[in-house]
Amino acid sequence: MNSTHRFVAFVLPVAAFLLFPSHLDARTWTSTDGKKLDAIFESFDGETIQMKLKNGRSVKFPVSRLVKEDKEAAERFSLVGDDAMTVFSAKKIDYLLATNLAKNGIRSFNERLPDDLFVRRVYLDIIGRIPTREEFLKFAESARKDKRAMLVDELLASSGRSSHLFNYFADMYRLKGSGVARELDYAPYLEWWRDSLEENVSYNEMVREMVTATGNIGHNPAIGFLERDEGMEFDAFSNFGQVMMGIDVSCAQCHDHPFEDWTMNDFYQMAAFFGQTQRSTGRYAAAGSEKSVSVGIPNAPKDWASNFKKYAAKNGVDMKDRRQSRTFNYYLGALGLNVADNEAIEIRIPKTIDDLGGQVVTPATLYGEDAAGSSMTRREALAEWLTNSTNERFAVNIANRMWERAFGKALVEPVIDFPMDWEKQTGQPEVLKFLGQEMARVNFDLREFMRILYYTQAYQGYSTYDRAIDEGDHYLFQGPVLRRMRAEQAWDSLLTLAYGSEIDSIYGGDGSFLRELMNVNFEEDSMEEVFEKFKAYKSVRNVGSKILVDTGSLDAKDPEIPQVAGIPMLRSSRIAQPASASSLLSSFGQSDRMVTDNHTYDGTVPQVLALMNGPVTDRLTGGESKIVEDLEEFDGPDDKVRGVFFTMLSRYPTETELKKGLAILEDYGDDGIRDLAWVLLNTPEFLFVQ
Amino acid sequence: MDIKHLAGNSDFSRRHFLEQTARTSLGVSLTTTFGSALSGQLRAEEAKTPEGGGSAKSLIYIYCSGGMTHLDTFDPKENKEVMGDTKVINGSVDGMRFGSQLEGIAKNADKFAVVNSMSSRNGAHAQARYQMMTGYNQRATIVHPHIGPFAEKYFGKRGDLLPDSVVINRGTSNSGYLDPAMSPLPVANPESGIANASLTTTEERFSKRMEMSLDIGQNFIDKYKHYTSPKGYVEFYDQASRLLRSEELKVFDLSEVEEREKYGMNSLGQGCLLARRLVENGVRVIEVHSGGWDMHNDVVGSCETRLPPFDQALSSLVEDLESLGLLESTMVVVSSDFGRTSRINDRAGRDHQPAVFSTVFAGGGIKGGQVYGSSDNEGRRVADKAVSVEDFHATIGYGLGIDLEHAIYSPSGRPFVFGNHGKPVTSLFG
Repeated sequence: MNSTHRFVAFVLPVAAFLLFPSHLDARTWTSTDGKKLDAIFESFDGETIQMKLKNGRSVKFPVSRLVKEDKEAAERFSLVGDDAMTVFSAKKIDYLLATNLAKNGIRSFNERLPDDLFVRRVYLDIIGRIPTREEFLKFAESARKDKRAMLVDELLASSGRSSHLFNYFADMYRLKGSGVARELDYAPYLEWWRDSLEENVSYNEMVREMVTATGNIGHNPAIGFLERDEGMEFDAFSNFGQVMMGIDVSCAQCHDHPFEDWTMNDFYQMAAFFGQTQRSTGRYAAAGSEKSVSVGIPNAPKDWASNFKKYAAKNGVDMKDRRQSRTFNYYLGALGLNVADNEAIEIRIPKTIDDLGGQVVTPATLYGEDAAGSSMTRREALAEWLTNSTNERFAVNIANRMWERAFGKALVEPVIDFPMDWEKQTGQPEVLKFLGQEMARVNFDLREFMRILYYTQAYQGYSTYDRAIDEGDHYLFQGPVLRRMRAEQAWDSLLTLAYGSEIDSIYGGDGSFLRELMNVNFEEDSMEEVFEKFKAYKSVRNVGSKILVDTGSLDAKDPEIPQVAGIPMLRSSRIAQPASASSLLSSFGQSDRMVTDNHTYDGTVPQVLALMNGPVTDRLTGGESKIVEDLEEFDGPDDKVRGVFFTMLSRYPTETELKKGLAILEDYGDDGIRDLAWVLLNTPEFLFVQ
Repeated sequence: MDIKHLAGNSDFSRRHFLEQTARTSLGVSLTTTFGSALSGQLRAEEAKTPEGGGSAKSLIYIYCSGGMTHLDTFDPKENKEVMGDTKVINGSVDGMRFGSQLEGIAKNADKFAVVNSMSSRNGAHAQARYQMMTGYNQRATIVHPHIGPFAEKYFGKRGDLLPDSVVINRGTSNSGYLDPAMSPLPVANPESGIANASLTTTEERFSKRMEMSLDIGQNFIDKYKHYTSPKGYVEFYDQASRLLRSEELKVFDLSEVEEREKYGMNSLGQGCLLARRLVENGVRVIEVHSGGWDMHNDVVGSCETRLPPFDQALSSLVEDLESLGLLESTMVVVSSDFGRTSRINDRAGRDHQPAVFSTVFAGGGIKGGQVYGSSDNEGRRVADKAVSVEDFHATIGYGLGIDLEHAIYSPSGRPFVFGNHGKPVTSLFG
């Protein structure tokens, strides 16, 4: 083993773990009248205890009605505040990992990262960019013992967290706001993602909103999820399975699943939960007959569209003019981004499938309990089944993904299709099981869940970089794995060097006004009101959807937002999704959002050429740039060279590196700072998260 | 993998071996291990070259984005109502007729095989284009590779510094479910060549920078020496710096090329010229994209703008390939999203029509001077010998020598064959 020398520093965290009360486990509570209840402690305000029942529901119970022993337990548990819970959970993860390492003859985690590398890593992992020199110094000056935890908390509380998390979900959920015919019209859905993540809406709630959404995109942007694969209902279902269940059932669309115990019929039955979901105008299989049925704009009265067209024609829209009629139809299309539950339609197995073709299928779940609920729509029943606490897989799925984000490798793979018997297929069944429980305990609060992961000792060690990862069947997670920056991390880091940390707070406006233009109530709004919205929509289109989508604002030409090679210098989460094909983001492998998790980490020659000679590099090393301006003010060439290294790589140069840097400054004077910045940008060290 | 064993394989010539080990070129990932590169090659060798096919060593695929009108180009009709104001001319081969704007092509009719019975089910641009480029219908769960990456996967990497496939007049490309390193190199504008290939500082200063960054980078590489990825970057830098100084880069520089005006000073003409130069330098698959074919308005006027440059570029291309002795080994294909309606709409344009349209083949074993299949008198439906998009792709695969039964696998294990089980039109070859 090549990195044996690293295995020296971390003491196994067993002892600390044992000191914590086991209030995360369900215990049996006994009331004064002898009744017993199994529940997990949640909170205690001195009078009432809140506990969570096995079915996931929280109940309140007056402490006066509990036996003495349980009163004391409640008091003891309540002393453990939120922070302590987080620390406790992190320690338990460390304990589980360490136990497993010990079983395999490994005595400890990788050596604890020094502060400089730790700071660089958490900035990149949590907010998606490298720290500025000022940010690093602020950390270095703090004398607090718990400053690492403080930094994690601070970053998680900043808007950088949601920005970087957006990039992750944009890849996973294939968020696309450019290059589709309706690029403008999807803007509210992207904005819904940005807002939900910024507000830290719990993940199960977001999923519930997406699965059950109805209405038009202006009214309820979460329908964007269901509209993403409009016209491809089975592909839409496959994508649902991959992201929300961690099951890739696309194979079962044409033949029985090769590994799991599922038939094609099972696939279509599960898909039937979306069988009465009307996503657009068009023909659907009719419920209760062999025929198909033609339906208009979802949620709209049947003749609404033709009436509106007449109204528009009367009020100056020349339908014979190609341009005018096209814009009008775009607007109708935008209003048609609309989802309804329609009992007149059904899902039918495609005719191309032998034996089963043409059959209508009734909904049934692929695994676990049935989804039932007579008073619910099919999708409501599905969402209830999916996010219910008895569906362990749902929690494990997102927990496994968040783990992959932190450690560079998932506990069970592939994340879009992990086996049903995952407990047998991971080297760390206890860890994954615990993570699933923790996800449920924090009620799918991803920020809190991430806090637990970034608090672990396992995370805070050096990256593993020997062959243990590739060779072993199961990696034991003695540390995160070495990985290249995501395209978005590279982009946001370059912007940080050129403009400083201000990039975090430049948003380029939001798309909410656009959302209003598409928010139409077909029953209540008058034709006149809708026509006014259409006129505003038309003017937006005329200005150019590209500008709008790039920045979320019509003020894109505002000189406040600099552009380089036609791309606004905003964080990757705020520009076109995905960024244009000629951008640095694209050459670094940003997902094209065609299929789930399509980001790549491979190097290519065009990518390297972009780093050498591309417009963003030129902006950084050629023109006005923050790093150059800052460092010119430093006294003496030594400090300048040190400053460049520190700003770019979060470390000081070695003696030899310093000499080489000084030689450059000797040749070119202060201009040599640009050369040095170029040099460090073009070393692999810059691109990797150690 | 046992190298000695491989070297003992008679098919495994030293040249093959060098080609494989030298996987050091544009867009080639070094994270692809040596072993898997070899196994790709071996699998391809087990596959059978289709009998009678395989003359085409390179492919130039000219794509008319938007939907070329078949009626005003390769499938003109007698019917005046259908033809509107478009005139018809005879080709140099009896029975071949063309729209009057295609003079150069008509003169070279003996080199072209025209298919007038193409038929597709996709009437929307994006979906139609996707299928015409990949042979597969667009899905939301997988991205299929274009011809270039598929062929690279099948045959193995061919060149050293140059990529196996290039896409001209498009800013982007992908490799579908294949290794991203197989993505075709995009050349957004043939006049400006490869993106970011010109230095932003002096040659001397660039060299100094490069030297220093390799030097400083070495510590990191040493530290993570068991990881392929950082090491790969050193290779990419090496290749990129070599490319910047190479003769091969000059292939992309059209500014000094004598015959450039002959092809037409527009993106299609210069794209075809660049494609020819790339073929001369061993690039396997080149897509040349041409825009502006969506003629909903004023089809006659649009043809006047679009067809002469098209005619000039395509006829210059096949003439030059022939005089360079490359036509026999280079297949040239022209296709489009779909055809256009025989009814001329009230804006004097033609609308989308996937039911029947035309595609054109030349070189690479194709027997020129023939028309295959036909549409009805009004050019609305296939009258004889329908050719599906799958058949069209299978025909290209046949020409390139790809075993159409041979499956390659996506990372999730789904099998795919070239042309999605279409039947090649073998009578086009001769």
